[in-house]
Amino acid sequence: MKKKITAILTIALGLFVTGCEYDNFEAPRAILSGKVVFDGQPIGVRNNGPELELWQDGYPLRALIPVYINHAGEFSATLFDGQYKLVRKGNSPWLHQSTDTILVDVRGNTTLDVPVVPYFNITNESFQIGGEQIVASFEVQQIVESAQLDQVRIYLRKSMLTDHVVFDQEINVDRGSVELGSETRITAAISENLKSSDYLFVRVGVKSTASGEYCYTPVQKIFLK
Amino acid sequence: MKKLYICLAMFAAITFGSCNHDEWFDRDSKSLITDEQLWNDPKLVTSLLANYYNRLPSLHGVFNTGGMTELDDAMWSGHRDQNWRNDFQFGDDYGRYWDYGLIRDINLSLENMETLSVSLTDADKRLFIAEFRFIRAFVYFEMVKRMGGVPLVTTQMVYDFSGDPTPLQVPRAKEHEVYDFVYSEMEAIKEDLAANNASKTRANSYAALALESRAMLYAASLAKYNNLMGEPIATPGGEVGIPASMADEYYRKSLAASKAILTGSYQLFNENPDKGANFYDMLNKKTGNEVIFAKDYAVGLKVHRFAYDNIVKSLTEDNESSSTISPSLSLIESFDYLDGTKGTLKDRDALGNYVPYSRIEEIFENKDARLYGTVIYPGSTFRNRPVSIQAGVATWQNGNYRFHTAPELGQQLENQLGEDYAGGLWTGFDGPKDDAQDVSNTGFYIRKFVSDAPAASTRGTSAANWWPWFRLGEVYLNAAEAAFELGRTDEARGYVNILRERAGFPPNSISLLSMEMIRNERRVELAFEDHRFFDLKRWRLAHIVWNGAEDDPNAVVRGLYGYRIVRPGHADHGKFIFERVRPSRFRRARFFRLANYYASIEQRVLDHNPKIVRNPFH
Repeated sequence: MKKKITAILTIALGLFVTGCEYDNFEAPRAILSGKVVFDGQPIGVRNNGPELELWQDGYPLRALIPVYINHAGEFSATLFDGQYKLVRKGNSPWLHQSTDTILVDVRGNTTLDVPVVPYFNITNESFQIGGEQIVASFEVQQIVESAQLDQVRIYLRKSMLTDHVVFDQEINVDRGSVELGSETRITAAISENLKSSDYLFVRVGVKSTASGEYCYTPVQKIFLK
Repeated sequence: MKKLYICLAMFAAITFGSCNHDEWFDRDSKSLITDEQLWNDPKLVTSLLANYYNRLPSLHGVFNTGGMTELDDAMWSGHRDQNWRNDFQFGDDYGRYWDYGLIRDINLSLENMETLSVSLTDADKRLFIAEFRFIRAFVYFEMVKRMGGVPLVTTQMVYDFSGDPTPLQVPRAKEHEVYDFVYSEMEAIKEDLAANNASKTRANSYAALALESRAMLYAASLAKYNNLMGEPIATPGGEVGIPASMADEYYRKSLAASKAILTGSYQLFNENPDKGANFYDMLNKKTGNEVIFAKDYAVGLKVHRFAYDNIVKSLTEDNESSSTISPSLSLIESFDYLDGTKGTLKDRDALGNYVPYSRIEEIFENKDARLYGTVIYPGSTFRNRPVSIQAGVATWQNGNYRFHTAPELGQQLENQLGEDYAGGLWTGFDGPKDDAQDVSNTGFYIRKFVSDAPAASTRGTSAANWWPWFRLGEVYLNAAEAAFELGRTDEARGYVNILRERAGFPPNSISLLSMEMIRNERRVELAFEDHRFFDLKRWRLAHIVWNGAEDDPNAVVRGLYGYRIVRPGHADHGKFIFERVRPSRFRRARFFRLANYYASIEQRVLDHNPKIVRNPFH
């Protein structure tokens, strides 16, 4: 009797242990991370707005892995080791390069900066507070020659994530007052509901007609008091 | 011995007797219908057609309560498990529709009609074929308006086992080719459909013309407005993007089709002298001559639960659900005043002070009668019973009104706020109540399409009012838009004014017509009829109206809460004031990206057919 129970237990245990190997996959552990960059500088975007795509060949299931990009232009994806193809999609503030894939070898944690070509970019931005007004100065650079300027806007918010969807105040910059490649200076009143706060987060965005998304400067924290 | 003889005799009887009657075994199956039977029996073909009619696609239509709460006209106030409709972004696949199963079924039917039906009369056969083709064109129209140009497959596709699947890989047609296909099909079959002209639930000549009118208008406005964008949405092969030069021709075709319907025997529904109730009756009753083509329902046979979903809270007859669709303030304000001024409600005066009204419904008076026919607002009635919509009471404290809402719906105000304030209704049975389930969160309920028949809002009986695929009201607006775009403003103004007269406006209420007015007319006349999403897309306005900004009055669904003033001794005591609110269940502004103009094509489809090109931005 005792022998029988032992035997059954052994078999059961054996099945348990071997069964595990067949049923369970190890979770992906390698992290691919990096930034979307132009000229070595990260490109700010709408938080979780534009995406990159990853593809992997050689498996029967062929489906894209979406890679989300945060406000500062950083992304990360947890993957298995292997070779992947990275695609720069449309509806982003940069050129659509769907056929120009980037091959990525993921071996453990891998860092990759993805070069993109934004339609427009903003440089030399600075913000000052004068009384209840904000003075912004920046330069809009045209990168893609055929691109047309659609909007230049300044976004203010009490918390850090701000873009054309979440903002407390939006300042529309008249396109006529923007001279490409040279300094634009904008003075605007800070709205009632923001005046009393101690500090604000601010960034400037520029959008071309070719895309619904803006290309942003890094978020800056400015103190009102 | 005797036994043996009997056995022999029986054996003989069985063997000889059965020899001559082999056909006795050949019986028609009671559970299978053969091709020969199906294609030669008008009754069977009609029931096959019924199946296909039932599969006609829509996006937010055919009593799709959920879909109707995904735009700016309404929010979801029903069960919390679907609150994602108030907290979502249009995904890349939003509106994706790729139904080649249905296309194949129809193509197969058409081929079988040609080859297998021998004993049908010629007239029957022509009619059936025309109906199949109508449904197929309808499906292609639904696909092209969501996906752009799709593969035009008009025959059955059979694999020949040669190892080479390329003959089965049909590339996408150009966007305009699909619209042209819809047009040429309708032109080809409209005469054959005349036999159905007495029917409103089978496609007839006028349904074909109505589809033509709508499809050509879509093609025309796509050709025009896409090319007015800073960067038109297009693919190099024309699968998406119609040349601007084709716009005028499409507008002319649309106008011609609309005019052919307007000169027919259809009439705007005008049976009830009360203009507001008339507009409701137009879709709720199956009488009159306005509806051209509808999907019909019958109690006990085929029903839907739109009334169960959306009945006013206090009038519900079932123990669950109600009040799911809460129309938005922006929809209510798009209904003009009868004197022709903009419909913005006068809740505050120029100085920003509340405007007190002595009756709660007074603020909605003198508005377009379609407002009454479309939504239920405070102080109005449903099924001849008054609704009880009042958010709470307002007391005057420190130079400002303070709002108090009751913990329970329908509660009377006693001493909770002090003896001075006691008496009268506190919060209505029908709310509105913020952050509540199964009661309006915006202060409004939907009336259009909600049946007032007895027991229509119970799950046992359910509702049987029909769904209009096409009606004359839309045709007037199609004609107006096409004429306006072609520069015939007087003609266009005439069409709009006729429609507005039915809504209670005086004759010739518009003297200077603009495209803005036509767009607004479409929003109010055709609210909840599965037009708005596609209208804003074809005008290329969707990404501007639904811009995702959290403080935008169009992208955010807002409500209007009415409060009774409790201010004893003051002239405004007992009057009503209104507060604009953003319901807390509404979590995220509507955000339509450029990528949403054409839905993404499923990866499986792209994998199977390398000739399919992706849509822009996907």
